[in-house]
Amino acid sequence: MESLHNSRLRSWLSSSPPVIWGVRQLRELLIGALRQGPIPQHVAFVMDGNRRFARDHHIETVEGHNLGFEALARILEVCYKTGVKVVTIYAFSIENFKRSKHEVDALMAMAKLKLNQLSEHGALLDRYGASIRILGQRELVRPDVLEAVDKAVALTAKNKKAILNVCFPYTSRDEITTAVQKTVDAYSTPIESGRISSKRPFSETHITHHIRKQMLQTVPEDAAETLAASRSASPSSSKELNSSAGGQSSATSTAITSEKGENPSGAPSYLDPETITTETLTNNMLTAGMPPLDLLVRTSGVQRLSDFMLWQCHEKTSIVFLECLWPEFDLWQFLPVLVEWQWQQKKLREQEKTSRSMQIASKRNT
Amino acid sequence: MTAAMASTGITPRESVAFRRGKVDGRELSVKEREDMVKRILPDEPSESSDVPSRSSSPLKSKRPRQKMEQRKRKPGLIKQILYIVIHAVVSFLFSVFFRFRRSYRLVKSRVVAVLYHHHRTPEFIQRDIKQLERLPKHLSVILDFNESDEDQGDAGLEGLLNNVCEIAAWTASAGIPLLSVYEQTGVLKNYIPQTHQSITATLETYFGPRKPTLSVRAPHLQSYSPPLTPPRSSSPERNGDPKEERPHLTVLLLSANDGRNTMVDLTKTLTEMAQNGALQSKQIDSNLIDAELRDAVSTEPDLLVLFSPTVTLKGYPPWQLRLTEIFHLPDNKGVNYQAFLRALYKFAKAEMRLGR
Repeated sequence: MESLHNSRLRSWLSSSPPVIWGVRQLRELLIGALRQGPIPQHVAFVMDGNRRFARDHHIETVEGHNLGFEALARILEVCYKTGVKVVTIYAFSIENFKRSKHEVDALMAMAKLKLNQLSEHGALLDRYGASIRILGQRELVRPDVLEAVDKAVALTAKNKKAILNVCFPYTSRDEITTAVQKTVDAYSTPIESGRISSKRPFSETHITHHIRKQMLQTVPEDAAETLAASRSASPSSSKELNSSAGGQSSATSTAITSEKGENPSGAPSYLDPETITTETLTNNMLTAGMPPLDLLVRTSGVQRLSDFMLWQCHEKTSIVFLECLWPEFDLWQFLPVLVEWQWQQKKLREQEKTSRSMQIASKRNT
Repeated sequence: MTAAMASTGITPRESVAFRRGKVDGRELSVKEREDMVKRILPDEPSESSDVPSRSSSPLKSKRPRQKMEQRKRKPGLIKQILYIVIHAVVSFLFSVFFRFRRSYRLVKSRVVAVLYHHHRTPEFIQRDIKQLERLPKHLSVILDFNESDEDQGDAGLEGLLNNVCEIAAWTASAGIPLLSVYEQTGVLKNYIPQTHQSITATLETYFGPRKPTLSVRAPHLQSYSPPLTPPRSSSPERNGDPKEERPHLTVLLLSANDGRNTMVDLTKTLTEMAQNGALQSKQIDSNLIDAELRDAVSTEPDLLVLFSPTVTLKGYPPWQLRLTEIFHLPDNKGVNYQAFLRALYKFAKAEMRLGR
């Protein structure tokens, strides 16, 4: 009886207006305080633990997802008020389609409902200045849900202050594969070289002629010899010489040959595959143009990436695994993570500073 | 639920409205919903954008200006100061907390290290992991190449090699057949024969003459398992009992080059094939990439053990990490046996009891 009385008293107290007002003020204060330190530009969340939370509290799985959505709303408020630019959430994996049809349908219905509600409040969304983007395989989504998605995306597209990435049938391997595909596509479509070169006042044969001349003058003897040898071997074919000169220059600066792999014959010309870099692939990822991922948080104690942001978090991202379940996740769990991140960031900066000063000192000594 | 409510600052009425879209059993209109959230909303964007500039301007110069403006400015400034003070207090409290936590963890790991020690004997290691129901088939570790000695005494190439040897010996004792060692710079790849030699020597100190056979390899380089080590069980003399068969350990050396750069190389090759008409871009799927990377670099490890105090991947091959269990010991520094052992326990979802 005693404990029941206590819990009732506590619930009465915790739902009394002054307490709620006080807590809200405290939250605002803490958020404002957090803003004084460095803030991660890009944060990703794996929202894990909705189902286990439902099981632990003896409620329906769908209700667990609903509570998870509330946790998301709370945490988004914290993120955007502290000044995080991009938040990426793992809402639905392609693998999740393997779950029970009942659960998948309920999740889809929830997504549709929430997105439709969101679309009704366009003016309010502008205050947060966040634009919604959907990352993932659109073809797998039901058309009616897709419609709600597109509406919400279109409505917020003009907002520039912050971005909310919703990974909605997404897996990272799928993302990487698509990026590779896009790159291959871009590099294997012929470029209309004739049109491009005719616009400019320079002739490419003229330039290669100059390069060849320069190389004969400046390049060490053995290189000049090989060039001469190749000429003597096939004195008539200027085409081959052309390409060999091009190959030489591409070693030093790819810019000359790569932009337009000029081919005198009628064969289609392509971009040079050697100019593909990690940036090319990064720009073909779904998160192209966004700041690098600074922080990745996964709840519910599972220490795995589970096919999420593999490409993005491979190097400097701080990955944090938390024991709490996602519906329980709130400012009180997120605050220590952010403060620790700020602390580490401060230490990293100090380390860099000392190493730089040491480098300078060593340079002075030598 | 009520306890959670207290910490979020949302009234029960509001949370019901949020969950069900209803108040007092009645659907909310768009307007009503907007009124409800109005007081938690941030300021209008135009106003919030000039808050920082306002706070940075000194107060004195503003005196001749109108009173109205000053009154408007004041709460912003006070708030700003309050924020800075609170941030300083919170950061200080947490830094004290972090330091205490670090020393606590250090003491704890020392205790574990005393209780569990391998004594360079495979039997001890086998006893430590005897109760585990599942072991990783492919174990991976991330190591650092420390330029300067920090107090672990594992600086430079020698220190790194030493760590690799120890981990290889523990892995072999645990009976895990494949160990991949990731080290960002890939310096060990230049010394594969020497690495092989030192690991063999370390295995010898653990196992004696009946040490497991070993091969060391790195992506794009030939596997190194010299004829000095007798050929694997393919030898005809199998007349003894099957336990005579010695286990085999493969050590795979990975570097940052095997990560994103290898993906780029694969893309280049695929592009060339597409340009020559040997491949359609539609034919590229994750199975193809997976098969290629599996052959060229490595398979997906089951367990990745970090010995660093925090989790950062330092350029580890991204494709391979899909479902890998990532283990790290918070605030741990340097390679040690108890971190290795705790990783195996975590992987098997077993409780590690102090004082057996």
